[in-house]
Amino acid sequence: MEVSHSVKERTIAENSLVILLQGLHGQVTTVDLRDESTATGRITNVDAFMNVRLAEVTFTDRQGTVSHLDELFVTGRNVRYVHIPDEVDIRATIERQLQAIHRVRYFGGRDKGRKEFPRAKHK
Amino acid sequence: FFNFTFQQQTTNTVEEPLDLIRLSLDERIYVKMRNDRELRGRLHAYDQHLNMILGDVEETVTTIEIDEETYEEIYKSTKRNIPMLFVRGDGVVLVAPPLRVG
Repeated sequence: MEVSHSVKERTIAENSLVILLQGLHGQVTTVDLRDESTATGRITNVDAFMNVRLAEVTFTDRQGTVSHLDELFVTGRNVRYVHIPDEVDIRATIERQLQAIHRVRYFGGRDKGRKEFPRAKHK
Repeated sequence: FFNFTFQQQTTNTVEEPLDLIRLSLDERIYVKMRNDRELRGRLHAYDQHLNMILGDVEETVTTIEIDEETYEEIYKSTKRNIPMLFVRGDGVVLVAPPLRVG
């Protein structure tokens, strides 16, 4: 399970639907871009800002010209749609990602390590 | 926190505009988007950015062509169907129950 190394990104992802896209790592999907072009490829990474990295991409531009790219990076702002493959169980994918974040967050145990969200100290 | 149809609701009262969308979870809805696009589908999930997951979606793209000779506007629409779609919230203009025609 790929969880971001950044606390900020983990928190952003945990509180929005981007977490579903992050669970699609390895899936072949089609991303429709804002400018009407489309990219079909295997998702290798999605970050909290919806920036998407794809591999083995078939890219169809606005005019319809098809090209093949080994890798493609799409800025989150330029995403319009992501087609979710039929075989993906959305609820399970989201729960799996949330569990991965919780595993990272509570690593080391309750009383050990630096806490992500420290408890308020009683005065 | 985002809401999806399988999760328990945190509150049952309508307090803010997003709560109105919560009432439409698992229902068919109409979404008007930027660039003359419309979606009709079943709302499975949404979040505070209005990112949404829609199932059984029909997307309608409307274009206007101008006739070269008469200069009249011809409205054309293209439809396509997608089984499950993630929609980025910044393209969403409005969310409503499906429009009844006629």
